Amino acid sequence: MDPLALTAGALREPWRLWTCHLVHFGWGHALANAFALSVPLLLAHRQDRPRLLGMALLAAPLLSLLLLGTVGLGQYCGASGLACVLWAWVGIRLACRRESTFIGFLMLGGLLLKLGAEAALVGSFLIRPEGWQALPAAHLWGSLLGLAFAFPVWPRVSQA
Amino acid sequence: MPRLPRLTSFGLALALLMALGCNTPQTTTRRSSLMDYLYPKQQNAPVPNPAGARLKLPLKLGIAFVPGGSSSWRVQNLMAPGQEKPLLDVVKQSFKDKPWVADIKLVPSTYLRTGGGFENMDQVARMYGVDVMALVSVDQIQYTDPRWYSFTYLSVVGAYVLPGDANDTRTLIDAAVYDVASHTFLLRAPGQSQMKGSSTWAHREVQLREHSAKGLQLAMTDLAKNLDAEVASFKAEIASGDRKDVDVVDRQGVSLRQSGGKNFGGSFGWIEALGALLILGAAVRLRRA
Repeated sequence: MDPLALTAGALREPWRLWTCHLVHFGWGHALANAFALSVPLLLAHRQDRPRLLGMALLAAPLLSLLLLGTVGLGQYCGASGLACVLWAWVGIRLACRRESTFIGFLMLGGLLLKLGAEAALVGSFLIRPEGWQALPAAHLWGSLLGLAFAFPVWPRVSQA
Repeated sequence: MPRLPRLTSFGLALALLMALGCNTPQTTTRRSSLMDYLYPKQQNAPVPNPAGARLKLPLKLGIAFVPGGSSSWRVQNLMAPGQEKPLLDVVKQSFKDKPWVADIKLVPSTYLRTGGGFENMDQVARMYGVDVMALVSVDQIQYTDPRWYSFTYLSVVGAYVLPGDANDTRTLIDAAVYDVASHTFLLRAPGQSQMKGSSTWAHREVQLREHSAKGLQLAMTDLAKNLDAEVASFKAEIASGDRKDVDVVDRQGVSLRQSGGKNFGGSFGWIEALGALLILGAAVRLRRA
């Protein structure tokens, strides 16, 4: 077992709640997730970035806790759940601003498309040849967490 | 005067005797024992390999009915010719799509010797090229109890018309799974069924045969379901380290004991990354504009 991955023992070893989003099953896995993380970081408005990082630090363990039931006796690694948090959060923030509404909705649409594809193509599509399988629950919970973090600030952003 | 009661009582006693003789409770037992097959009484039980079993996925699984003991009953006698394969097929169908199964071979019970032990199991496993053997033993008991009106069988017509027999068939099937290389016992699962019905005296044997076949089929279906649950439980035991004598290695060479079951990853695929790149490009263009 990877000492940094999310396992059922994460409640006794709480660092796993954060570190599981940093470790990956290979370079290909890590690069794809790093790219997915970088897009919302690049698109977020400059004044939103500190809040985005703070929110990511808080969302990471919450997402891990939500995934504990799904992981069971297995282990979870990867940053894509966290990337979905950022995509949902930045998507909402951008959609609320007149000058970036289109990009915001494009991000939210892309996220919805990913979730829809995973729900429809469960099975072979999710099993990777490297011996692990994608966990759609991570993306779904991540997106919901991102929305939950974004919505309380909606009215304030709209007024601004 | 004293002669009439004596005659009457003699007649009544004769009738009662005939009634009892014609229709008394009857029990038929058919049994094949895994213990008699693997551990014949005259031999000492072989000690399993202390290193334990190391199963490499996907597994090649063999499945066979254990032959009966030294008594006259044998499993193949219980079934009509050709019935054994459809029964084993029930288990094969429920496991053929499992990712951990490469192939399932149905081994005819005629290839297994009575009291053949592990030596015979090894021979059959080598012949079929299987890693793991599931040995299925059967215990079937059929009860026939007379109903109160079964005395009408004495009229002969009643034996053909009135269903005075209550038939009850109980079947218990047990599948024990062994690793061929180490002779390690891996898991077991039961399957059971009960069939009840009424028949006339003349139709009794026909119904008992039908119930025997149907009971076996239902018990095999139940076994397939239970076996699936037992495999999940077995896997969890290995992953949690409770089964120290067994380890399972997946296609990538990762030990189940180490991985604890499954490796889940949160991942964006390269197609999704391309979509993200397009969004990023669109955003840059819009900002410049």
